[in-house]
Formats: sequence, structure tokens, C-alpha cells
Amino acid sequence: MKDSCSSTSQLLERYFDRQATDEERSLVERHLPLCQTCHERLRVLEGLRKAIKTPVDEALKEETFPWVWEKIEREIRLGKKPSWQESVRSWIDLSPLFRKKVWIPIMAAAIILILVTSPLLFFKKDPSYSERSVVEYVESEVYNVMVYESEKAKVTVIWLFEGPQNESPAS
Amino acid sequence: MKKWTPLLVFLFILFLAFPPMATAQVQTRVRVIEASNVGSVIDPSLRDLHGQLGSLFRYTSYRLLRDERINLSPNQPASVPVHQGRSIEITQVGLQANMAELRVRIKRDGADLLNTQVRLSPGRTVLIGGPKHGEGVVILALSASF
Repeated sequence: MKDSCSSTSQLLERYFDRQATDEERSLVERHLPLCQTCHERLRVLEGLRKAIKTPVDEALKEETFPWVWEKIEREIRLGKKPSWQESVRSWIDLSPLFRKKVWIPIMAAAIILILVTSPLLFFKKDPSYSERSVVEYVESEVYNVMVYESEKAKVTVIWLFEGPQNESPAS
Repeated sequence: MKKWTPLLVFLFILFLAFPPMATAQVQTRVRVIEASNVGSVIDPSLRDLHGQLGSLFRYTSYRLLRDERINLSPNQPASVPVHQGRSIEITQVGLQANMAELRVRIKRDGADLLNTQVRLSPGRTVLIGGPKHGEGVVILALSASF
């Protein structure tokens, strides 16, 4: 009997955890009504399980899993958006154009363009008289010269006075 | 070839950004006009200039002696006979977006009577006048389109 109790008590935990084979289970079930000690051990194990399981079950009853998933999904959706630098960097990393070194001359040309055009765009100055003037220079060893410019009529007159009897515009 | 690709791309972009304006032609119109107080004839082909001429001078008659249209290439002088052995030589020395720089020489027997450089924009007229011609004076009207 003692040998039987000793071997059965070793199986008791497997029986309790429902891991025993059919043969082991029938052995234990035949032994338990005959052995108060093993019966008492089984009751202790059941008490322990109950003590652990009850609060866990109560907590699970209070928590609804669909709601938990909704909460997780919302957290994902409202997750921190990447900064614009990160977006640009990821776009550059993805773009096959930028994986090659083509962007180097493109950037260089763009910088040159900006440097050349920015003074024209942002530092417009009134042209000086010499810049506005239609006649850049006029020279003659034969004539005396008069220059008249009319912005309104969009006309410029270069009048040549010939010889000692100077001839002037009739107006 | 592969290592030259960035340089070629760079040069291509620069070419697009700064097109070679200097190679463009400028069409110049030279009209030789005789202005006098003999009669009151206004040449019909001077109708577009009549307002300008009338506001500047007191001549009563304007007669067109010559009308020439010349396509000027950069730094290629073109010559038009004017009157009494004189000629006008025009050279395109520069071209910007809305402005052509023209060097104008009036010559007689190879010698310069007048040497000037003007900036002409489309719609602008330069009148060079004064030398006597017949009963009046001769006026050269220069205009450009490009």
C-alpha cells in the first residue's frame, strides 16, 4: 500500500494538471478513495488553484478585450507623426533618383541660379541715367552733336550740326 | 562615361538656365528720310513716324528715300548707303532680354563722320539727323525688333 501511495503521490500533480495518461489517471482514481493523505494533498492543490484563479478571473471579467484592441489601434493611429526632416530623409532614401549622385550637379546648378537671380529679384534698383539712356556714347570730329531723348514719345534724336552755318532742329 | 554624367547634367542645366542670347539676330530697320519745308507731303510709309516727327521738328514735308531691313548677327557690321557718298554701318554689339546694343557709324569715303552706340528696345526709334540734303536735311530712323 505504501509503495502504491508513494508512486501515486508522484502522479498526483500530473493528475491535477490533467497531464496524466489514461492508465495513470485510473491508477490515481483507484487509489484516492483508499488513501486519506493523497486525498488531502489533492484538496490542498485544488485550494491553491482556486486561490490563484479567482482574482485573475475577476480581473478578466472587468477587462473587455475588444475595448483593449480599440485602445491599441487608436494609439497607433494617433502615434507621433514624423518631423518634416524625417519625411524628407525617408523620401530621399526611397527615391531612386537620389540614390544616385545626380543630385549633386543639380543642387550645384540650383545654387548658382539662386545666386545669379537673387540680386535681380530682391535688390532691384532704379537704373541710373546712363543705364536708362538710349545713347551710350556719341562722338564726332566733324559735327557738333545734340542728343534729345523723349521717354513719352519713345524716341531719341541725335542731331548733327554741320559746318559754320549750324543747322538746328526746326522746333 | 559614367563618371562624366554629373558634369554633363550640370552643363545641360546651365545651358537651359542661360541660353546663348548672343547668337540671336536683331532685325533692324533703317529709313532714310528727307525733311524739308518744300511742299507738305508726308510719305505714306512714314505714317507710323509722323506723330514723332511732327512733335519734334517743324518741317512740313517728309519723303522716304530708302527703307532697308537688315538682320544683324553679333559683331557683323552691315552697311546701308545713305546719300551723297555717305553710308551708315550698324553692328550688333550686345543683346539682352529686351535691349539690343547697336554701334552706329556714319561714314564718308571710309572716314567716320559720327560714331555712336545706342540701346534699342522694340518700339523705340532713334533718329539721327542734321546733314543737309537738297532743300532740307536728311534724317535716319533706326528701329529694331527681336
